[in-house]
Amino acid sequence: MTRHDVRPYATVMDDRQLTGRPIVVAGAGPYGGDLEVAEPLVTGAKRWADVDRDIALPAETFPTKRWWIAFSVALACLSLLVFGLITLFYSGMGILGVNQPVGWGSFIINFVFWIGIGHAGTLISAVLYLFRQQWRTGINRAAEAMTLFAVACAGVFPVVHLGRPWFAYWLVPYPNARGPLWINFNSPLAWDIFAISTYGLVSLTFWYLGLLPDLATLRDRATHPWRKALYNAMSFGWTGSNRAWKHYESAYMVLAALATPLVFSVHTIVSFDFATSVIPGWHTTIFPPYFVIGAIFSGFAMVITLMTFMRGYFGMTSYITINHMENMAKILMLTGMLVGFAYSTEFFMAWYSGSEWEGFVFRNRAFGPYWWAYAIMFTCNAIIPQVFWFKAMRRHTLVLFVVSILVNVGMWFERFVIVVTSLHRDYLPSSWGMYALTRWDYMILVGSFGLFFTLFLLFVRVLPVVAMSEVKGVMDPEVAHGGPRPVAAAVPQEG
Amino acid sequence: MTPTATTGVLGDFFLPQDALAAAEKVRAAGWTHFDMLTPFPVHGMDEAMGQPRSWIPYATGGLALTGILLAQGLQNYVMVYDWPMNFGGKPHFSWPAFVPITFELMVLCAAIGSAILAIIAGKKDTVPQPPPMRVTTGATGDRFVLWIAGTDPKFQADEAARFVQSLGAADVRVVNLEGGRDA
Repeated sequence: MTRHDVRPYATVMDDRQLTGRPIVVAGAGPYGGDLEVAEPLVTGAKRWADVDRDIALPAETFPTKRWWIAFSVALACLSLLVFGLITLFYSGMGILGVNQPVGWGSFIINFVFWIGIGHAGTLISAVLYLFRQQWRTGINRAAEAMTLFAVACAGVFPVVHLGRPWFAYWLVPYPNARGPLWINFNSPLAWDIFAISTYGLVSLTFWYLGLLPDLATLRDRATHPWRKALYNAMSFGWTGSNRAWKHYESAYMVLAALATPLVFSVHTIVSFDFATSVIPGWHTTIFPPYFVIGAIFSGFAMVITLMTFMRGYFGMTSYITINHMENMAKILMLTGMLVGFAYSTEFFMAWYSGSEWEGFVFRNRAFGPYWWAYAIMFTCNAIIPQVFWFKAMRRHTLVLFVVSILVNVGMWFERFVIVVTSLHRDYLPSSWGMYALTRWDYMILVGSFGLFFTLFLLFVRVLPVVAMSEVKGVMDPEVAHGGPRPVAAAVPQEG
Repeated sequence: MTPTATTGVLGDFFLPQDALAAAEKVRAAGWTHFDMLTPFPVHGMDEAMGQPRSWIPYATGGLALTGILLAQGLQNYVMVYDWPMNFGGKPHFSWPAFVPITFELMVLCAAIGSAILAIIAGKKDTVPQPPPMRVTTGATGDRFVLWIAGTDPKFQADEAARFVQSLGAADVRVVNLEGGRDA
């Protein structure tokens, strides 16, 4: 299905009119043929002034009832985290399911899960920036915020997993009075501290740099002098000077170039926590790419969940269009197949290596007592995303939402399978055992979602959820300008 | 001579290509103390204004090197000199194990340093007299605003305003505020 039109953007005024295919302008091509024009990234014939109004509105008005309802639910979940952690600190690690032989349990699973979620945000903000994927502008702000909050959730778990979290600062190398006592820099767990904290700080910097021009927009819209002063300080007195933009763009590019290898390094180093051990099922060279691709996969699933929510619940359909969702569905399917490929490769290598232990672990994973976890993982991650071969499915909001939730479930179970099935039956049958989450494990898991959604909803409330300055840059100036000329949906001059 | 009043002319444009053309004409006419305030970066504006490339990437290189040296220094000091321990018979100087932290600290120093420098550079690299903050230019909304500062040697308010008008600016405002640049 293609549409022919001489004024292409005039045909797409609404999210429902998007088809995901180019608009054909008859006879407008360079040699007299047809010109294919991509559908607009922002629908609704928005002008630049509308962008400011739409995006800044939540920060400038009292929250809506819808926001309060969502926030109350999130806050209720967060209270579970607080209650669970207080009980944990009071009673000790005995209330959790971890024991011999499964000494790494839900906390490590949750840690890897949340860190993985964060990766899609950096992928959207950095990698898609380097590839000049302009559709990223509609979703990058929210996706980067998601990264920050996911890292915050992830950061909780290694600390509480220490058992004595009040000594967490011992993980940081600094001259101290405990003798010349240092951390062991040969340990992947020490690398992890550096990887996660670097990732969190660089993501925060990248996100904040992107926010600067938008904070200045909020400042110029503000009427109250305190608000003006606050936003002015937060934007470091941004004026939009081209000289400032020059340095800003340069730094943004450099940060994207640095964040790209960083995002790959972080989950690589997380996988080293497992891969450098001598446990069958963990000690494999496939782990770094396998973890990274799984992280991007799960992260995109979470972005789809959140964006469906933003579209459906907060009505952001003009900026986060169904075309954005379709693009993300494509990435989800691709990464889902890569994850499925990794599962298969693991099995092949377990057989091909000829290692008795490796072979046993993988047979035990798929057909042992935790077969159901493996089945959930494989179905949700490798099979269900295959529905996105069909365009209608990629553009169906409910399908997208359900699949994204199922992928998140599947990816949580992937980490469960990796952590638990490798540990519960190792070399000595006499020390085999089973692992189950206790109510406290579940409470803290649900609570971490509460922390995540509380932070996300606060972000939606106080900051621009779409990168206004970036979205303005990808809109057609002929349509979006603020001048007195009538808004004619003109044929783009450069095609 | 530092002027006691912030003077200059603001001219609004509605389209990036108009702003680009205007910037070229301003430069060709020999003005030096002018700036273009835009809601988003306009492709080609640096060339149109005759601006040199940003030096930020060079600073990033230096910062990255700092991070590498910091990480290598710390790890070698600890593992080889201050507290050499025998981990499974491996050499004290086991450089492959130092690579991940070296990479992370390189990225940390380079990324955060570059961002901070870009913010500082954006504040420092201005015309001698930027438009006063008290004046809302509209350049963070939907206007592309040309600013010709009163410090320009060619500047005479009426003449400058006429020149900006001749460029096709929709709205020409002569700014004349008492109290200096941060008024």
